[in-house]
Amino acid sequence: MNRKLAPPIHAITNLRLPRPVIHTLDNGVTVYETSMGTQDVVRLEIVFYAGRPQEHKHLVSRSTLGLLREGAGPYSAAEIAEILDYYGSSLSTPFNMDSANLVLYALSHQLDKVLPLLVAMLETPAFPAEELDAFIQRNLKLLAEDLSKPDVVAYRQITELIFGPTHPYGYNSWPETYAQLHRDDLVHHFNTLYTCDNCEIFISGKITPEIIALLNRTIGAWNRRGKVTPFVPPPIHTRPEKQWLTKPNGVQSAIRIGRRLFDRRHPDYCGMFVLSTMLGGYFGSRLMANIREEKGYTYNIYSTLDTMRYDGCFYIGTEVGNEFVKDTVQQIYKEIELLRTQPADVEEMEMVRSYLMGSLLTMLDGPFNVGEVVRTMVAEDAPFHFFEDLVATVETISAQQLQELANRYLQPDDLWEVIVG
Amino acid sequence: MITFQRYILDNGLKVLVHEDDSTPMVAVNVLYDVGSRDEAPDKTGFAHLFEHLMFGGSANIPDFDDPIQLAGGENNAFTNTDLTSFYNVLPAQNIETAFWLESDRMLKLRFNKKVLGVQRKVVVEEFKETCLNQPYGDAWHHISDLAYKTHPYRWPTIGLEPSHIEQATLDDVKQFYYAYYRPNNAILVIAGNVKSEEAVRLAEKWFGSIPTGQIPTRHIPVEPPQTEQRRRVLHADVPSDALYLAFHMAPRLAPEFYASDLITDALGNGPSARLFRRLLKEQKLFAHIDCYLSATHDPGLLIIEGKPSEGVSLEQAEALIWQELEQLRTTPLPEVELQKLKNKVESSLVFSELSALNKAINLATFELLGDAALINEEVRFYQNVTTEDMHQVAARLFRPENCSVLHYVAPRPALN
Repeated sequence: MNRKLAPPIHAITNLRLPRPVIHTLDNGVTVYETSMGTQDVVRLEIVFYAGRPQEHKHLVSRSTLGLLREGAGPYSAAEIAEILDYYGSSLSTPFNMDSANLVLYALSHQLDKVLPLLVAMLETPAFPAEELDAFIQRNLKLLAEDLSKPDVVAYRQITELIFGPTHPYGYNSWPETYAQLHRDDLVHHFNTLYTCDNCEIFISGKITPEIIALLNRTIGAWNRRGKVTPFVPPPIHTRPEKQWLTKPNGVQSAIRIGRRLFDRRHPDYCGMFVLSTMLGGYFGSRLMANIREEKGYTYNIYSTLDTMRYDGCFYIGTEVGNEFVKDTVQQIYKEIELLRTQPADVEEMEMVRSYLMGSLLTMLDGPFNVGEVVRTMVAEDAPFHFFEDLVATVETISAQQLQELANRYLQPDDLWEVIVG
Repeated sequence: MITFQRYILDNGLKVLVHEDDSTPMVAVNVLYDVGSRDEAPDKTGFAHLFEHLMFGGSANIPDFDDPIQLAGGENNAFTNTDLTSFYNVLPAQNIETAFWLESDRMLKLRFNKKVLGVQRKVVVEEFKETCLNQPYGDAWHHISDLAYKTHPYRWPTIGLEPSHIEQATLDDVKQFYYAYYRPNNAILVIAGNVKSEEAVRLAEKWFGSIPTGQIPTRHIPVEPPQTEQRRRVLHADVPSDALYLAFHMAPRLAPEFYASDLITDALGNGPSARLFRRLLKEQKLFAHIDCYLSATHDPGLLIIEGKPSEGVSLEQAEALIWQELEQLRTTPLPEVELQKLKNKVESSLVFSELSALNKAINLATFELLGDAALINEEVRFYQNVTTEDMHQVAARLFRPENCSVLHYVAPRPALN
């Protein structure tokens, strides 16, 4: 046996997003069903288009969603918590810029016990004023903690500079933002946007016709309509700038370098996804190889596309020892320059393609993962064939095309830079 | 129920295979029976540093990550007090790549001065990022130091201080490798879209010829029972006050562990848990509160951490927590609450079986603890816990002299 010889590698082929089965409930709500897997479990996600783009005041979207579980219909907040826990379910409200999402995980045979809670939250949430106050107090504490972390401060700052301080994707929360929140704001946000003509449901797991029928009997019987005005993204007039926010006493500094990009529907999105992966999207990426594995300046460095429904941005992030800041920044610009000036060699192209194909396959591993891809496509207004388009780009994009993209989008003068430390 | 087959190669390597054809992937996990509890007190953090070095190339393969990525896979590793675990997830058709890579770095690592130099720096940056440059990032250092006086759990896996990592030499590396990274000190688990016969054939082919090693006998000092409460107050540059209470509890396999785990859930797991519901939601005296356990193989810790609301002092906050603990000591838990806790455990076990990687890591961990079949006994162990067990265990746990207390005092705003 020759241990120097790698076993043959078999390419991943025919990668395709399983299309969901689409149902319409009696109240007109669309349900996207992804049924696969072996475990009797359900993931149910309700997406309301009631995020930052739709709110009339900053932070209303997050606080309305956060308070839904604080009492609704016949249930007190404590009862909601008790019932969810008793049946081994969990309900979360993960942060999302563009929408308000309720995610319920349940054992299939217990779903009927917990769905009534969800219906009550959609019909008559209580929004107790004292709970809003407590929510604000807790969040002020969390904010103070976040503001003591250089990486969080750097992220807040660069997104605010890129989109502008009043833009839905750019604004940050401050104590004053919280101080302006009133119960009426939440009620208004809820009444106008948490309606059955402004939401979609995604269900995945081992889904039976009985489960769909159950959904229709419960959520399908809920009926509040609204009048949602389409969102027109405000114009953005920001210019790239560099900022260094000093933070005394830290042993590391956070670096963010990035720019505004675009949403998933842009023709260059898939190519930029590949380019960002090559630069800093996996362990073997250029930034990791240079700044961690060659120089040992950091535990982690990455680049990523942050994608929203109506826009997007690209950024590089890392935390490095204070003594390494200057050279790290130089090395980052050097790596970006290399992307612009030299096409990647065959070996690297092969590696990025293979890595990404594996990672796309992982996105289709199991009902919950597939369900989340389906949710992302619908909620970001991208067609299902986006997935296959991305696969095709990964398989066929050339080194020259990547170089062209780098020249189009990664000019140093177009990049924002924030250092905190 | 997780079914698996077990084979032991002639060199002592334990091989477990779990077939799951509902996934296109396969997870390959190699666990080594060595953790930070096996370190010398003046060379702490070494087991974790060594984990980093395992990616620096082996006898026949210059780089570990490239081939895995070319095979469309991902890999990573973690070290804790009790074990070091390396895992690979890749498309099932490329499973052999993982066998090739993992066996070569078990056969012979490339001892490389440059790799050691760089990874020492990387780990020191990791130390800074997770412990020094985060508010409360050194909490685990203080808790371990307070709760353990003899047992090597007294230092965290990341190490006591960066200088221990900076001083690691190539000789230390070689010695550690030949002492612990041998087939008879390892467990190989393959879980996912693979047939047992194929997995065993590949295990035999790639790992079968790796020579056995002489594994040092473990002499870990037993932590003597704590007899009086230990307290530490830190005046630190943190955004708000915080407190931690750490109680000694049973080791992972002791019958008592299951009641302790359910007590932890009663206090801190889920929106209806006692501490969260009563102290944070109803009385609004905390901005954050949580309860969890270290679940170590030797006797571990049950930890409660909290941040009091504005205007609530650390002393008041601590007294409130003790009141809740006192209730568990004096009043038996209602049956319906115990049933709720058991339902939650059962549900989380079902959900944990959704991922092949999860199953691989859990099988390896239970095999290390003595028998992978224990993974299917867990539900029964939890189901057998009675309210009386809960009561007794709570009474043993929540004694003031069994507790270490850590307070962080934030700087007070200056008066104008």
